[in-house]
Amino acid sequence: MPNHPLISQARKDFPILKREVNGYPLAYLDNAATTQKPKSVIDAIANFYENNNSNVSRGVYTLAEEATEIYESGREAVANFIGAEDSGTIIFTSGTTESINLVASAWVQKNLKKGDRIILTEMEHHSNIVPWQLAAQSYGIELVYWPVNPEGRLDLALLEELLTNSVKLLAFTMVSNVLGSINPVGKITEIAHSHGVPVLVDSAQAVSRMSIEVSEWDCDFLAFSGHKVYGPTGIGVLYAKKERLEEMLPFQGGGGMIRHVEKQSSTWAIPPQKFEAGTPPFAQVPGLKAALEYVEQYGIKEIERHDHELTEHALNQITEFPDLELYGPSEIQNRTGVVSFNLQNVHSHDVAQVLDESGIALRAGHHCTQVLHERLGVPATVRMSFGIYNDSSEIDRMFSALDRAREIFLH
Amino acid sequence: MTKETIYRDILLEHARHPKNSGRLENPGLSASVHNPLCGDELELSLALSGKLIQDCRTMVRGCFICQASASIMSEMIIKKTLQEAIITGRLFDESLRKDNEDVPEIVEPLRPFLALKKHRSRIKCMKLAWDALEECANQDKNLNHT
Repeated sequence: MPNHPLISQARKDFPILKREVNGYPLAYLDNAATTQKPKSVIDAIANFYENNNSNVSRGVYTLAEEATEIYESGREAVANFIGAEDSGTIIFTSGTTESINLVASAWVQKNLKKGDRIILTEMEHHSNIVPWQLAAQSYGIELVYWPVNPEGRLDLALLEELLTNSVKLLAFTMVSNVLGSINPVGKITEIAHSHGVPVLVDSAQAVSRMSIEVSEWDCDFLAFSGHKVYGPTGIGVLYAKKERLEEMLPFQGGGGMIRHVEKQSSTWAIPPQKFEAGTPPFAQVPGLKAALEYVEQYGIKEIERHDHELTEHALNQITEFPDLELYGPSEIQNRTGVVSFNLQNVHSHDVAQVLDESGIALRAGHHCTQVLHERLGVPATVRMSFGIYNDSSEIDRMFSALDRAREIFLH
Repeated sequence: MTKETIYRDILLEHARHPKNSGRLENPGLSASVHNPLCGDELELSLALSGKLIQDCRTMVRGCFICQASASIMSEMIIKKTLQEAIITGRLFDESLRKDNEDVPEIVEPLRPFLALKKHRSRIKCMKLAWDALEECANQDKNLNHT
C-alpha cells in the first residue's frame, strides 16, 4: 500500500525514531497513550528556556513581557486550532484529566443539585468517569450510562430516551481510546441541546487525528492534552463557551486567579485567568504551539487520510487471522487509527512483551477503560494506535511478530 | 541487543499445566487480589493445620507470568508454616533488588523470575500470588488478635 508522499517525510522529523529497540528499528504504535515529539517542539521548549524563561503575567521587565506574550500567543494558537472565536475561552490546564476535573468541580458545584443526572458513555476513559463519580458522591448526583452497542458504537436513538428532565450534562469522548470509533460531536451536541443539556467533549484521542471545530459544533466544553498531539506533557486545554465560563466558580485558589485578596475573602480575575491558579505551564506553551504548527504544516486533512489508510490496512489484516479477535467497528467508516484486539488464549501482556522483543511498542491492558472492558467481557486487550510517522510496513511487522507469540504460547 | 526472554520453558510449563489449580472448599484462609495495571485477578485458598499450610489452591485470571508464579508458589508453600511461606516470598523480593544473580537456596524454584529484573513492569504479575499470601497472613493476624 502506498503511503502518502508528504507524510512519509514526517518520520525524519522525530529524533526518537532513529533509535533501535532490542536490535530492531523502533516501531512506535502506542500513540493513543502519548505521541512522540518532533524536533521543532523539542527546540521550541529548549529555546524558551535558553532565551525567554521568566514567569508570566507578573513582571514588568523585558523577559517577563516576552514570556507573557509567548504564553498568550499560545492561547491564540490553540483557539485557532480548535475553531474557537475568542482566545478568552481557552484555559490552560495540566492535561485532559485536569480539564475534566475542573468542570466536574467548578461548574458542577454551581449548577447541579441533588437528584440531577449526568450522562456518560460506556466507552469513556477513567478520566471522564471518575471526576464525575467524585462530584456525584459530593452532591448526590446520579450517573447514567449511554451503552455501547455490539459494533462498538453509540446508538443516537438511545440518547433521546436517556435525555430526561433531570439530566444536566452529557460528557462523552469524540474518539474511543480502545474501539477507535468516532462519535459525531455536532450531531450529538444538537440532540443534547434540543433537550437543554450542555455537553463536554473529551477530544484527547481526536486532537491529533481530525479537525476540531468547537464553534461549528456549538459544544459547551472540550478538553485535550498537549502530549497526545505531538506536544509536551504537563499541558492541556479546556475550552469552555463564554456562557459556561460565567457559570463557573474558581477551581483552585492561588496566585494569578485573583483580582484582590483580603484577610478573609478575595475577588476573582476574569476568565480564563480565574481558572489558572499558580504558575502555569508557560514553558510548555511554546512547545504546544509548535506542535499545533507542526500538525498544520502537514494539514489535519492529510493526517486524517493517512490515519484512515493505516487503519484500513490494519483492519484488512486482522480479519485474515481467525485467532485474532477485534474489538471495535470492523467497518472503516467513522473509525480511526486505534485498533484493539486479542490473540486467542494469550494474555495481552504476554503478547505485548513478545512484540517488544521485536522492537514493537504497543499497549496491553485495560487502557483505563474498565467499564468498557466489562462490557466487552475481557479483562484486557492489545492496542495498536497510529501516528503521523507510522507506515504500513510497521503494521505488517506487528502481524508477523505475532507468530512468535503463537510459537511461544500456543505450541 | 535483544533482551533475554522472560518466557523460560519451566515457566511456560507451569503456566500451561498449573499445579494446585482451583479453589478449596471450606478453606482456613482465602484472599482475592487483583492487579490494577491489567485487571488480572487471583484467588488463593489455604487449608491450615495449626500454623502449617496443609494444602492450597489458586484460581488465576491473568498472564503467563502470573499463572506460572501461582503454580510455583503453590508447590513451594505446602508443608511450610504461613510465616515461613511469607518469609520465602520476601527473600525473593530482596533477590529482585540485588545486582547479582544469587538467590538463597530456599527460593531456588523462583530463579527463572530473575529475568524480570530487566522487565520491572512485569514484577507485579509475578507478585500477585505472593500478595494473596500476604493478604491471608494479614487475615490470620487479625483473627488471632481479635
